[in-house]
Amino acid sequence: MNRARPILRIIGLWRAQRAALAAGVIVALAALAAGVALMAGAGRYIAAATLGIGLAVPAALEALGVARVALRYFERLVTHDATFRALTALRIWFFRGLARSAAGGLGYRRAGDVLARLVNDIEALDGIFLRILVPGFGALMLIPVLLFVVGREDAAAAAIVLALFALIAFLFPWRAMGAARRSAEAEAQAGGALRVAALDALSGLREVKVYGAEGRMLAAIQAQESRLFGAERMLAARAGAMQAVSFLAAQAALLAVLLIHGARPVAIVIAVFVAIAAFEAVGAMPRAGVIAGRASAAATRVLEAAEAPPRVADPASPAAMPVAHGLSFDEVTFRWSATLPPVFDGLSLQVPAGSRIAVLGPSGAGKSTLAALALKLAEPEAGEIRLGGVDIARLNAADVRTRVAWLSQATHLFADTVRNNLLLARPDASEAELWAALDAARIGDVVRALPDRLDAWVGEQGVLFSGGQGRRLALARTLLSPAPVLILDEPCSGLDIETEREFMSTLNETLAGRTVLLIAHRLTGVEKFDRIWRMQNGRVIAATR
Amino acid sequence: MKKSRSRGPRRPVLLGFMGKLYMSPAMARSVSPTKSWIRQEIRGGRRRAAPATGLGLLGVLLAIGQIYCASRLLAAALRPGSAPVELLAIGFAIAAVLRAGLIVVQEREAARLGIAARRRLRSATLGGLMTLGPGLLRGRHSAELAAVVVDRIEALGGLHGRWIPASGIALVGPLMVAAAAAIADWRSGLILLIAGLLVPVSMAVTGIGTGMAARRQFTAMRRLQTRFLDRVRGIGTIVLAGRAEAEAEALGGTADELRRRTLRILRVAFLNATVMDLLAAAALVAIAIRFAGPLLAGHWASAPAALFSLLLVPEFFAPLRAFSAVYQDRMTAETAAEDLIELPRAEVHAAPPPAIRTVPAQGVTIVFEGVSFAWDTLRGTVLDRLSFRLPAGETMMLVGPSGSGKSTILELLLGFAHPQAGRITVNGAPIETIVPAALARMTAMIGQRPFLFAGSIEENIRLGRPEASEAELREAVRLARVADFADALPLGLATPIGDGGYGLSGGQAQRIAIARAFLKDAKLLLLDEPTAQLDPATERDVLDSLKRLAIGRTVILASHAAFAHEFTGRKLDLGAVRTAGLEGVA
Repeated sequence: MNRARPILRIIGLWRAQRAALAAGVIVALAALAAGVALMAGAGRYIAAATLGIGLAVPAALEALGVARVALRYFERLVTHDATFRALTALRIWFFRGLARSAAGGLGYRRAGDVLARLVNDIEALDGIFLRILVPGFGALMLIPVLLFVVGREDAAAAAIVLALFALIAFLFPWRAMGAARRSAEAEAQAGGALRVAALDALSGLREVKVYGAEGRMLAAIQAQESRLFGAERMLAARAGAMQAVSFLAAQAALLAVLLIHGARPVAIVIAVFVAIAAFEAVGAMPRAGVIAGRASAAATRVLEAAEAPPRVADPASPAAMPVAHGLSFDEVTFRWSATLPPVFDGLSLQVPAGSRIAVLGPSGAGKSTLAALALKLAEPEAGEIRLGGVDIARLNAADVRTRVAWLSQATHLFADTVRNNLLLARPDASEAELWAALDAARIGDVVRALPDRLDAWVGEQGVLFSGGQGRRLALARTLLSPAPVLILDEPCSGLDIETEREFMSTLNETLAGRTVLLIAHRLTGVEKFDRIWRMQNGRVIAATR
Repeated sequence: MKKSRSRGPRRPVLLGFMGKLYMSPAMARSVSPTKSWIRQEIRGGRRRAAPATGLGLLGVLLAIGQIYCASRLLAAALRPGSAPVELLAIGFAIAAVLRAGLIVVQEREAARLGIAARRRLRSATLGGLMTLGPGLLRGRHSAELAAVVVDRIEALGGLHGRWIPASGIALVGPLMVAAAAAIADWRSGLILLIAGLLVPVSMAVTGIGTGMAARRQFTAMRRLQTRFLDRVRGIGTIVLAGRAEAEAEALGGTADELRRRTLRILRVAFLNATVMDLLAAAALVAIAIRFAGPLLAGHWASAPAALFSLLLVPEFFAPLRAFSAVYQDRMTAETAAEDLIELPRAEVHAAPPPAIRTVPAQGVTIVFEGVSFAWDTLRGTVLDRLSFRLPAGETMMLVGPSGSGKSTILELLLGFAHPQAGRITVNGAPIETIVPAALARMTAMIGQRPFLFAGSIEENIRLGRPEASEAELREAVRLARVADFADALPLGLATPIGDGGYGLSGGQAQRIAIARAFLKDAKLLLLDEPTAQLDPATERDVLDSLKRLAIGRTVILASHAAFAHEFTGRKLDLGAVRTAGLEGVA
């Protein structure tokens, strides 16, 4: 049952789309019924004609023929509509779930790669309705039909036919599902390894060439590729075997009907024709089982990601938001996971409202963790973090984040216009405010030089801009945010020294009245800070005023 | 490449943030190069798919035989004793078993074709990218390139494995069925043939307008997926900005709008399949009517032919249906091909350099003579008639603001870019006449962020010289002070790093890069801001190792002023050279 449960959970999510899905199933069943009836009628007509007792094509047959063609058309339309609706609902459900559960965990810490795989997993769920549910209902409907049409001529033949039908429609797909679920895992792993190997070779192309390692890198990629293909070949072989066995079963059933010796030849011909239609309808079921297996594996991952509990739960009854926005850490102890050593052990810090504070230190000293804690992306093991004197554990994360804005190392630029990328921080910002933020981040002139200016496109991952420019655009977005506290994590990476100095020397005017916590690995010497802290191994080891 | 990027044909005009739909002016573009590329692929693919197509046609032949047996069996059911039932049943069974065997072989063959095509395309693409080198790939996101190499090429498997064999079978299979029908009864054969000819005609009629629209819709769907992926990747940013709910609603709105538009197009597009249904029904009725007369007149003799012809009708349309079922594979391939052919290609040099030669690797003297270079005409020259001479074993610091050409000089020396004017010589030999492998052998480079691939620390160090002895490796590890941190790790040098491995700090990564250079023992050392990403304390340590590495080598160092003070040697201030419009060495 394990393999079906994730799929059933996904189907359970489509409550709001129930009407559309039901409509799809009903039209599909009607089309199938019309098809089977048409075959039965055609068989009867042909048999009668062959025996010389036939009539003209009965009107009912003509009507069935037209109905079948029309119903097939509507079936395609209605089931596709239902699929689109279901997939959209799934995407939005996934997005909301991820936003709730994983903003701190997945979105901020894990690589975009994992997320990309999850998005592919969602796409893999689009066959559940169209290729599994709809034919499944069709198969259920056909059982009594076969039982009646064949059974009234020959009970033994009916037993054989139904047994073979059940094999093709249910048992083989079920087996295929289990096998595909297992190999989907192997395939996903091999695919991931191939991606890593390709990314390795391409992002390190400079060194690969300098060290003459092209051949070795290529071989490494091809080794992973072969693993992927191996998994695929196995799955293809299994699917082929399953398909062949199903085909044989269908043919055996047909032969069983053909060989019935009965007193009513016309009824036998009808049975043959109905059997042909019925087995044709379930012919693709074993393949659907393969799809179901992949979908099941994908659904497991999707459910796991979207339903993971948030790293930091909101309080049941949040306290009122404070008016002041001084930030303080009081005896904070924190570790990312139980198996890791603590990042902070009894850390205490004061960031008074309106102050300018720099936190310096080597990577791994816990500078970024400071920001993650202040934004409720993580929760201290012990101690309190206060905003305006109120413990943020008693505040909703969303409310805290309206007061504290963060330019992180992982800040994402969206495949959208410059304008929309900026508006994310403040949807009601005016044109002048946008330009002011861009100028403050020293990217205004670059944007001004673009033909579309604010409406210029930031390509996928912001590739239209160079790394440094993209970073400055993200900085502009953070500066635009109305939050009174800004945490800037390496805002100047990608800037050359002169521009960095310029930015730092004007920081005070640009951000007058706001609290600034600047995280950096070094300073240029021109900054005017109220305090400069050095962090090492999770402790403030020096503070200068 | 650079130029085409700034003109922006690649710029995806995606769905706007607030759910507005922009039609892409770029959509009509590049259909023809993609088309011709696909056509070329198909031409080659057909040859390779000949066995698969042949097997499919053999299957059609067996199906005809099976239907023959079935029709005779049916006739026997209607008039017992009219045919040898046992013999026919055995014939039916044998044909069925053979067809089942064919299914297995065909499935395997389809997988083989898809795999072979992907292997071929991936190795050609990767080979091309590696030949091009980083110079021509500037500005390309490596993740974007990797997506092309992995995902786009994966998407091309269906074209070769499924679409090409199916298209071949759809072309010939129905003809074979019609011929079989014609042998039994020429009128039935003719009816099938006419129905078959009407398929492409009706498809063309309903397909006018929908083909283009369907393609556009397919692109729009793919863009929605891209947009969704983009928003999911940036979900942390969205949540922190408090915009998750607004974004979820915007996504829903866009998807809904797209669904409505898609359905409008599908309404017409599905007519294609409906026409096929109608033609099949019409063929059935026509054949039934054709036999109604003789049968009602009591001509029992025509009954087997009638049953045979009627049962052939579904078989006649089966290859056509199978073909339209794989239409998606072709569409997917076309969109994938679009990205693939947009990759910059290695220029095929009209004539190989006149005299390729190697130069002694002992001591490297570098001379620039009036070298000018521009990445593209729009952005102006980076280097303007630059001349300098750097004798073997000496160090030169390149200083100047970013964009003044520090990195460009290194790129030129690595052979990743070529000057538009002037001459660069290495030990007296013009750089373009030196075998690339020989140039690579005499050069070591350390940049801002060293590239570490997924593997162990040792494997990463051995990138420089895989065949180095254990003693040489130990020595490099000692000199670069990799041992300082590696010894503390449980697995030592065998500790895996890179993706999913042990997280190295910036300083530790830089030490591995230095060890790599020590092991390689190249006489020309290029350093590009090697400590820019390090904190001051770590910078100090790394600097010591670098100074040790520099001894006895020709060194070119691009760095900010403060760092350059640590080295003794010449200094080339590119900012000054530029503003003064001078050439020469400061």
